[in-house]
Formats: sequence, structure tokens, C-alpha cells
Amino acid sequence: MTANFIYLSILVASIATYACRAFGVFSSKNLSVDSPIFHWIKCISVGIISAVIAKIILFPVGLLSETTSISRIASTLVAIAVYFLFKKNVLLSVFISTATFLLINFYL
Amino acid sequence: MINFLSFKKGISHAFGVPAIGLGASMFTFGAYLKSSGFTLLESFTSTFFTFALPGQFVMAETIVAGGTLLNIFLAVLLTNARLYPMTVNIIPIIRHSNYPKWRYYLVAQFIAVTAWFNMFAVHKKINQDEKFDYFFGLAGFLWFVSVICTVSGFLISNYVSHKILVGFVFVNPIYFLVMTLTNLVEKKIITSIILGSILSIILFQFIPDWSVLISGLSAGTIGFLIFKKEKYDS
Repeated sequence: MTANFIYLSILVASIATYACRAFGVFSSKNLSVDSPIFHWIKCISVGIISAVIAKIILFPVGLLSETTSISRIASTLVAIAVYFLFKKNVLLSVFISTATFLLINFYL
Repeated sequence: MINFLSFKKGISHAFGVPAIGLGASMFTFGAYLKSSGFTLLESFTSTFFTFALPGQFVMAETIVAGGTLLNIFLAVLLTNARLYPMTVNIIPIIRHSNYPKWRYYLVAQFIAVTAWFNMFAVHKKINQDEKFDYFFGLAGFLWFVSVICTVSGFLISNYVSHKILVGFVFVNPIYFLVMTLTNLVEKKIITSIILGSILSIILFQFIPDWSVLISGLSAGTIGFLIFKKEKYDS
């Protein structure tokens, strides 16, 4: 793992990532927010994001893979419950869910 | 010229929960890079130029596993492909009546899930010609915080307990989840979100590398087609 290879890897990863963004700018050139295509793409975007979240919570890699599935699922349900029970409070929901996650994994 | 008032409002929006949600994960990423043998400059450069966490993790893991540059390119492209539909969606929302094209290609570097959700949550309350600079402030500040947090994670992770690091990693998906909940207004969006999660879990068993993209594409298309006649709420 030489320094040159790492910098080349970062360059390659940045090009791959920016290509998705730049192509997105190019494709949106004549797109109106009232067009059906715009709404179809929004559905796809939220579909992909929810798929990413499900994958991270159920099939994590790295540090999260050291934690139990039960803790991740239970904390996710807590986040949803707190969000709807406490007037859609984002901060409170994230905080209580993370606290629940740590409590189950390290103190129960 | 830039509308500094809108730009500042965008920064104020990002300051707080969005910055904490993203910053916590970037901090952990910095810690991960240190433990994997990367240098401080390499960590800084990764977030500065790439700024898309799942792809950055994939890049680092592929390097550590001994992958080639082509492996890295394809793996990151597949992981970050979600940025394409997200960009197609956000650019018409923030379009300014007389800003040149290059500004859109510049702001595109800052498009990521956190900024995307937060902009969609407020854009109806902002005048059309102020949206670009608002988003520039919002997304640009999140990018700036991400770079700082990656470097901080690299430098001070030795002084942070393992439990706290694990908690930091969990903040990001939960924050994304809660931001997703804020979008549960239209039936087609609700259907796309629920189907996307379910399909992702099923498809992961068979095609783990492609499960996210195929799930999102299928879920979004099904949700859109079923509720095609629903009134648009962009």
C-alpha cells in the first residue's frame, strides 16, 4: 500500500463519485419540477436511500458489524416511535435511538 | 455574485442536527482510516475530493484488501450511483434564473444525502432565486464540517472510547432514517420507501453488490406507477 497508489485510488474514487453528480447536472438540464419524470426520479432516489439504510442496519460492515442485530433493529423502531410520538422531533428521535443502541450493546 | 443572506441562512440550517449527524460519521471514518494505516493527508484528501461516505469506506476497504484501481473505480461508482438521481432531482429545485452552468457543476460536488433531504424539507418556503445560494451554504457547510471531522477523527480517535465510536457510527443511518420519515407525505414516496427497504433486504441475499440500486430503481418505479395520478407535491 504505497502512498502513490493511495492518492491514485482517492483520485479514481473522486472521479467515479463526481461523474455521478456531473452527469446528474447534465441530465437535469431541461427537467421541470412539474414533470412526471422528475417525480419518478424522486421516488427512485428515496427508494435507493431507504435501501441503503436497510442495508446498513441489517447487514453492516465495519464497527457496526460488532453490534447485535437485535440492538440495531430495536433502536431503529425506537427512532420511528419517538419521531411520531414527540411531534416529529428529529433531534430527540436520533438521540434516544442512539442512547438505546448503546444501552443494549454495552450495558444490558 | 452570490446572495450572502441566503448563503448564510443555508449555513444556519446546516449548523446543528444535520452537521452533527454527518460529522459523527465522518469522525468515525477518520478514526477508521487511522487504524487502517492511512496518513492524515490521505484522510483529508479523501473527504475533500470525494465527500460521499459509503463510497469512501468502499475505497478504503478495497485498498486494504489489495484491489486494483479498476476495482476501486467500479466499486465506488456502484456505491455512489445514488448521487445521480439525487442530483437530477435537486438541480431543478435550486435552479436560478440567470446563474451560469458552471455554478451547478461546482455545487454538485456538495450534493449528498443529508443536504438533499434538508433542502427538500424547506425549499417551498424559499424564493426560487434564493434557493441556489441557500443550498450552496447548506451543502457547502456540511462538506466543510465533514472535512474537519474526518481530520479530527484521525487525530483524536485514540482518546475516544470504543463505545462512543460505535455510537457515532450508528448516528448516521438513524439520522438518514428519521430524515426519510420527514418525507412520508405522498403515497408514492411512502410506497417507494417501504418497498426499497424490503427489496433491499431480500435482494441482498442473492445479489449483495447490486441490491441497493436494483431495489431503489424497482421500488421507486413501482411506487410512482401505482400512484401516478396522485397530485404532485414537489
